[in-house]
Amino acid sequence: MSGRTWRLSNSLLLSRRAIAGRRVRRTAWNLVGIAVFVLMVFPVYWMVSTAFKSDSDINSIKPSWIPLHATLDHFRAAVSGDDHPYFWNSVRNSLIVVGVSVGLSLVLAFLAAVALAKFRFTGRKLFIVLVIGIQMLPQAGLIIPLYVVLARYHEVNRLTGVILTYMTCVLPFSIWTLRGFIIGIPRDLEEAAMVDGSTRLGAFVRILLPLVAPGLVATSIFAFITSWNEFIFANVLLQDQQRQTLTVWLSAFSGTGRHTDWGALMAASTLTAIPVVGFFLLVQRKIAFGLTAGAVKG
Amino acid sequence: MLRTVVFTVANVGLTMVLGTLIALLLLRVSTFVRVLLTAGLVLVWSVPVVVAVQVWYWLTNFQNGVVNYSLGLGQHDWYATTFSQLAMVTALIVWGGIPFVVVTVYAGLAQVPRELVEAAEVDGASSPRVFLDVTLPVLRPVLLILTSLSIIWDFGVFTQPFLLIGQSKLHSANYLMGVYLYEQGYAKSDFGRGAAISLLMLLMVAALSVVYVRKMVRLGDER
Repeated sequence: MSGRTWRLSNSLLLSRRAIAGRRVRRTAWNLVGIAVFVLMVFPVYWMVSTAFKSDSDINSIKPSWIPLHATLDHFRAAVSGDDHPYFWNSVRNSLIVVGVSVGLSLVLAFLAAVALAKFRFTGRKLFIVLVIGIQMLPQAGLIIPLYVVLARYHEVNRLTGVILTYMTCVLPFSIWTLRGFIIGIPRDLEEAAMVDGSTRLGAFVRILLPLVAPGLVATSIFAFITSWNEFIFANVLLQDQQRQTLTVWLSAFSGTGRHTDWGALMAASTLTAIPVVGFFLLVQRKIAFGLTAGAVKG
Repeated sequence: MLRTVVFTVANVGLTMVLGTLIALLLLRVSTFVRVLLTAGLVLVWSVPVVVAVQVWYWLTNFQNGVVNYSLGLGQHDWYATTFSQLAMVTALIVWGGIPFVVVTVYAGLAQVPRELVEAAEVDGASSPRVFLDVTLPVLRPVLLILTSLSIIWDFGVFTQPFLLIGQSKLHSANYLMGVYLYEQGYAKSDFGRGAAISLLMLLMVAALSVVYVRKMVRLGDER
């Protein structure tokens, strides 16, 4: 056997061992990955599965990991039970507040974003700083000034007051994100349209609007999620049970009696989470981009 | 006040470290596990805060919460002492905060040039060394922004402690700034003092905000 073939087979053997080692390591990492997955997702799983379990399964000391006796009772109790009225009321309130504030904010934010992205004007930089800066304020810090202002105009305990409040949160964010989307559209397209005899408005409607549409959708969905989840302001501003939004309704759920109806609570939680989770999965990619586009690129 | 600072540091530290570790883990697992884990993280990310609070409250319930059972603790009351109350709030916040960090850091990791890592490995650098000298410098801007954002968020946190500890159990020993502000300014209707606290909070995060805002403005103008 010549030295050369010996060396070859030896190196083959070595690399085979290396591959085997890598495979073992990869399997180990995979196991770690799955463990992390289980840890992170477990609370969500537990919420949904508890919502479907029967009361005796929920209250036994030894937890049952899988809901074998699935039941819809808890959902029924949460939505229309005597102990928990106002579910549909809260849903309606949430929808009104979120719908109106997101709708108005988006129209305003879109126009502001176009101005920021396309034109140079005095105070533009200051405006950008303000738009980003406002988002940095701790929300709890805004409760008092907002409460005082709204109380002066008799808007406390009214949905309009909450709508105005939510707009102050949603607007800056929407302006900033939309601006990012608009900047991504080449100026030439619009200019070409104008050279071809289109008016500025025409170019705006026919060129810019369709191109920004996906951005508009993503932004509005994210705005929807933030306002749907909002709790602090709704809790402070809406005192009547008939006027509360879904998050406030949910937070009051466990505090009513000494014995907590865990099944119904989890069913209610699941119901509150569903629209958000659904929408979130749709736009998650775009938003992660929007929030950190600058950071990752820079 | 000091409590809030310690609390914020603990929260942000844990979120960032665990988040970065999971992001690094994502690089090492097979495609299937990566997709699974990412999907799970996004799911967690999307859970509304108020809902998450209720779920944690149920998980850690002393009578038949699943956490006590799994750890074999009998009827341990997680909300008995101030420390453990705040620890529960921390766990909740970190759990909710990790997904955003992971997704962002993972995106940032994609920017690390593969050749550089391979070159370092060929030169015999150990994996912690590669991480410190090659990966970290590339990630620095991402981590910087994430950290300042997390500090700003966690410093003013209100919903989680307010709901999880429960209004009846809140007292001066477990106040965080956000909750203190609410109690003084709103519940006791002392608008003056409330405004003073919120100004203080603003000043404390102001320095960080300036860093963040400047970075964003600069990036915004470059684009």
